[in-house]
Amino acid sequence: MLGVALMGFAGFAGLCLAMEKHFNDLLGRKPTGRQLRALKITGWALLLLSLILAVHGRGWALGLVEWIAVLMAGVTLWVFGLPYQPRLLLGAALASLVLGPLLAVLAV
Amino acid sequence: MKEGFRQAMAWLHTWTGLIFGWLLFAIFLTGTLSYFKDEISHWTQPEVQSHPLDPVTSLGLAQRYLETNAGHASTWFIRLPSEREAALSVSWRDPNGGGRRGFTDKELDARTGEAVEARDSRGGEFFYRFHFQLQMPHPWGRWLSTFCAFIMLLGLVTGIITHKKIFKEFFTFRPGKGQRSWLDGHNAIGVLVLPFHLMISYSSLVIFMYMVMPASILASYGDSSGYFNDVFGRDEVPKAVAQTAPLAPLTELYAKVQEQAPGARMGYIQVHNPGDRNARVTFTRASADSVAYQRSAIWTFDGVSGELLRRGAPESAAMTTSFTFVGLHMGNFAGPWLRWLYFAFGVAGTAVIGTGLVMWLGKRQLKHAKSARMPGELRLVEVLNIASMSGLLLGVAAFFWANRLLPATLEGRADWEINGFFLAWGASLLHAMLRSGRRAWGEQLTLGALAFALLPLLNALTSDQGLDHSIAAGDWAMAGFDLTALATGLFLAWAAGKMLRAPKPVAKHAPRAAKTVEAS
Amino acid sequence: MKSKAAGLPLSYRLAVTSRSLAALLGGYLLASMASVCITLLAPMTQADATMTGMMLSFVFYLIAFIWCFACRSAWRAWLGMLLPSLVLGLINALAYWMNLP
Repeated sequence: MLGVALMGFAGFAGLCLAMEKHFNDLLGRKPTGRQLRALKITGWALLLLSLILAVHGRGWALGLVEWIAVLMAGVTLWVFGLPYQPRLLLGAALASLVLGPLLAVLAV
Repeated sequence: MKEGFRQAMAWLHTWTGLIFGWLLFAIFLTGTLSYFKDEISHWTQPEVQSHPLDPVTSLGLAQRYLETNAGHASTWFIRLPSEREAALSVSWRDPNGGGRRGFTDKELDARTGEAVEARDSRGGEFFYRFHFQLQMPHPWGRWLSTFCAFIMLLGLVTGIITHKKIFKEFFTFRPGKGQRSWLDGHNAIGVLVLPFHLMISYSSLVIFMYMVMPASILASYGDSSGYFNDVFGRDEVPKAVAQTAPLAPLTELYAKVQEQAPGARMGYIQVHNPGDRNARVTFTRASADSVAYQRSAIWTFDGVSGELLRRGAPESAAMTTSFTFVGLHMGNFAGPWLRWLYFAFGVAGTAVIGTGLVMWLGKRQLKHAKSARMPGELRLVEVLNIASMSGLLLGVAAFFWANRLLPATLEGRADWEINGFFLAWGASLLHAMLRSGRRAWGEQLTLGALAFALLPLLNALTSDQGLDHSIAAGDWAMAGFDLTALATGLFLAWAAGKMLRAPKPVAKHAPRAAKTVEAS
Repeated sequence: MKSKAAGLPLSYRLAVTSRSLAALLGGYLLASMASVCITLLAPMTQADATMTGMMLSFVFYLIAFIWCFACRSAWRAWLGMLLPSLVLGLINALAYWMNLP
């Protein structure tokens, strides 16, 4: 489930960065339209992938519940941590992007 | 009421939130504690030792104990120890016996089968019961708390309608900006944890729908017993025929259940007419085993021959839906980490309500910042805010202190713990009336910080289950309680620091969390 | 939005009280009637239809609350509660009568 949680976290980070305002604030430069679109697609893809993995690993009932739970926890952490530790969270999102799929593959 | 749909919904959100906010805060806080009901009970009754689980041995011990001590009872109930509950609980109903409606409860040691003389305490059960009964006579508390749940649902819907930029500000939290930050926080916790909030408030309605919306039952069945028979499949238990016959060993029946459902954990085991030729034994699967409640996971045996008579009927789609809501609300299926998430989301729900109450006042206080005296109604809201939030926390702490300090032999001991809870809560109301707003917040939070942070120390001094012991023994329920109390104490100390330190003039509108963060 | 109750005209307060009662009681009547209607008309087993009706009734209660505070006047709030309740009540009576053995 940790794999799912990390992928969901990375997914939401991607969706957040896909908004011009947040991209500016966090990375300190103007995004191109293509970057934003790529981030958006990656973000949604990660969320979808984590859902598939959760349901695959734990069945519909428990998988869906756990998926929503870890997603809510991850995005809340992201939003409330961002003003205080933006660099740390960006690092964490990057790490989850690598670790999440890795853990998920190991779990399957 | 006012121009425009959104304004009207904002009005509704504001005023229903204010009127029901104080009660909702208490319901959410105690409900959140209920996710650790068994762990809290474990802390409040340290006499009950936890042992490695061994259902077969425990069941045998329970049967031996009941045959010796409750041979004439009409019904036995057995709850096996679980990952979360250390005790082997047995209870029985003796139509001629005393106690509450002829009921007697005992907690047995899971290894020896001897009754444990634990201190009399309601433990986690108190907070659990309070969160939907509100210590009111039946059924008023249930009605009121269910209505509060409806208001919460209404608050969520009107809140979403009012919230102008739900997607644009999805990731937005701007600390250090006074009222703005409180609104951001309120919105962000509300929106980000929305699935939980919606689930928890709607499922509360589903749990008590048979009580609060009985029209359908009346129109379709005439009375509720027919409905319940259909939904839960009442057992037709034959009457005792007054011919003694030995009860089959429950462990053998348990093995038969395990054949049918390998690895199933048992919630409780019920024996009707023990020792009679018409004995019946039912095994009900633990709710920890599935998200939804399952009426099919029930096995009924002939208690003498040991023959499996019937299994629970399968659930229909509508039943599965409503049982899923019930199961999601209770969260019995949640393992340790999902349980912690449940707890965190419960805290989030409590925080949404709390921030809403603070904002209502802060926004209106701004208008009166220059005048010397606050209008009466604002002062009233301020006092109630303080008493309902920090005061409730003091009440919770008082309950735990009473649990450790009251002598074990005291008459009505469990009731005095509850009195401690309400006395502390009442005292905080009095205190809030006597002190100015900020002072009252600061002082109560300071006291709360001390009361919670010192709980581990109190535990170590008054029982042999302090952190040194519990961590070494791997008793994470006990250690988790102590550590959570410590963390709560530290959080309250931080909040108290904000309240007591912040400069007076700015203090008027809102205590903001991030002011110092920005400055540092 | 007025934040203070003081200084508001009596008519305003009465209107708010009337709307609240319409939502609380009228809304409950409407939700109950809708619940019964679903229960009696849904092509399901008795238990399922009853459960479905009860589960959906809260949606009607919610909409009723919103209507009562969103509509233009307190009279409309009551009208919005009572008129649908009456219609549903008639349907229910008919369905109930036809179900009678």
